[in-house]
Amino acid sequence: MGVREITVRINGKTYAGRAEVRKTLADFIREDCGLTGTHLGCEHGVCGACTILMNGDAVRSCLLFAVQAEGADLMTVEGLADGDQLHPIQQAYWDHHALQCGFCTPGFLMTTQAFLREHPHPTEREIREALAGNLCRCTGYQNIVKAVAAAAEMLAAGRSGASGGAAGDDGVASEGGA
Amino acid sequence: MKPAVFEYFSPQTAEEAVALLGEYGDDAKVLAGGQSLVPLMNMRLARPAVVVDINRIESLAYIRDEDGGLRFGALTRQRAAERSPLVAARCPLLRDALRLVGHVQIRNRGTIGGSIAHADPAAELTAVLAALDGEVTARGPQGDRVISARELFVTYLTTSLEPRELLVEARFPAPPHGAGWSWMEVARRHGDFALAGVGTVLVLRRGMIADARIGLIGVGPTPVRAAEAERGLIGQSPSEALWEAAAEAVRGAVSPDGDIHASAEYRRHVAGVLAQRALRESLSRVQEAA
Amino acid sequence: MKLEGTNTLPAPVETVWKTINDPEALRRCTPGLKELKEVGPDTYQATLQIGVAAVKGTYAGTLAITDKRAPAHYKISLDGSGGAGFMKGEGIVDLEPHGDGTLLKWAGDIQIGGLIAGVGQRMLGGIGKMLIGQFFKCLEDYVGGGE
Repeated sequence: MGVREITVRINGKTYAGRAEVRKTLADFIREDCGLTGTHLGCEHGVCGACTILMNGDAVRSCLLFAVQAEGADLMTVEGLADGDQLHPIQQAYWDHHALQCGFCTPGFLMTTQAFLREHPHPTEREIREALAGNLCRCTGYQNIVKAVAAAAEMLAAGRSGASGGAAGDDGVASEGGA
Repeated sequence: MKPAVFEYFSPQTAEEAVALLGEYGDDAKVLAGGQSLVPLMNMRLARPAVVVDINRIESLAYIRDEDGGLRFGALTRQRAAERSPLVAARCPLLRDALRLVGHVQIRNRGTIGGSIAHADPAAELTAVLAALDGEVTARGPQGDRVISARELFVTYLTTSLEPRELLVEARFPAPPHGAGWSWMEVARRHGDFALAGVGTVLVLRRGMIADARIGLIGVGPTPVRAAEAERGLIGQSPSEALWEAAAEAVRGAVSPDGDIHASAEYRRHVAGVLAQRALRESLSRVQEAA
Repeated sequence: MKLEGTNTLPAPVETVWKTINDPEALRRCTPGLKELKEVGPDTYQATLQIGVAAVKGTYAGTLAITDKRAPAHYKISLDGSGGAGFMKGEGIVDLEPHGDGTLLKWAGDIQIGGLIAGVGQRMLGGIGKMLIGQFFKCLEDYVGGGE
């Protein structure tokens, strides 16, 4: 009654578990799916550390119950890199020292992923506004903004150059993907 | 941190949802976007015994241009409305207000109906609904009833919806073509709850103001229609002095509370300043009607 | 948080004085009051279930009336705690004749702490005033001919 069988698709892979209906999606992802890249900062929808993509949209997984994700396509930070190859967004964050303790970073990466897909050529103001829903206590944000701008350029160059990065940057897990 | 135990239902139709509310009424809460409810539940400040999740009721997500206005199914995501070409064309005030609702992540889940039913005193949608004389349809065990914005907002977080009613639709009458509009708010950080916010609409005819709407948030327990300020504008020709007078009238119309975020005096003052600027900006957007 | 207000009640000072000292009136009119048990002279144990919309909390505590100067003045203190937080308040009530009725002046200082205060800061003052307003509206009806 209070416990349900829950099946979710994360980064193209199917995960099944049993959880109480009151278990948040964030907790389910971390505990039942073993994907601890998604972090818990505030658990009341303010900090953005728990940000994942649900059907391509950036959402706060602490404000969803796991049962609500049944049938949805989810993407977490684990879905960005291709094996050892960093996603261009991750590379940009690395290159521009956009993380220190790294606690907020997965949330920022997912927000960035969704944002750049919709706004491939953002202005600085647009970047700052887009990131406003994610809080960072270490960096002071400047390097994160730079990283996002750099990532935008890298992704644009990748699109106009070769066939694009191995990790799909459309936020929707592809069939049989990693 | 997780909520207290609750029973969970996820109906597929509005009728099923209403039947569930009819059965559980006072013990049930409707879960739409969850961006306001789930934080309260996670902190156990709200402990509904029953949660009726309406997110599977696809028939409640729509945007229609009908009867001189925009009709939104309650489940329409704020982000969808924000990006809708229909909304941009028919009611840009709503689009501009939506852009300032929380953050993108919140708007991806948050709904039009949920925000209105939750009735936060700083919720942008409530002031837009009030300013445009909008209305909602509530569906209960006895059937549907229409509630005007004027009758809907009672006090903090409280509407005249009964516990057994489900808000199914919100209707925003569209301002006439050529009307000017503006939405402005003040917050300490982007995405914070507004300390004060104003939405205005101006319609001009032969150089005179034929219609004016001023709706405010953050300055009282419910959204405020500055009716007297509006009346002072009708029939007048726009001028800086007129906007200043309207600002004073707006200040007289609001009774904000002070808190650690801003004092009552600050909110009252800023409400006037925003009204003045919003009216000025509205004018700049007017394309005169004949 | 300091709050204050005035209310006009449709009864003479002596009647109003009796009412605001009457545990029945307090029982009837205190918003969310679930239980009021006298544990000593002018001292009560109270259980309140108070909140707005979905946000409700149960608070258990003490209500005491002190500094009584019949028929025009007293101090009422309320002290309670619960899962959502705690509150400590003091109100001074003064009565004055006002035509055929009474002018009731109240001034209170309320501290609310804990989770509800951290989260609900934006609305606490307004909601506090609203609940106090409900209290006096009820008293008005009670005094003006019994409800």
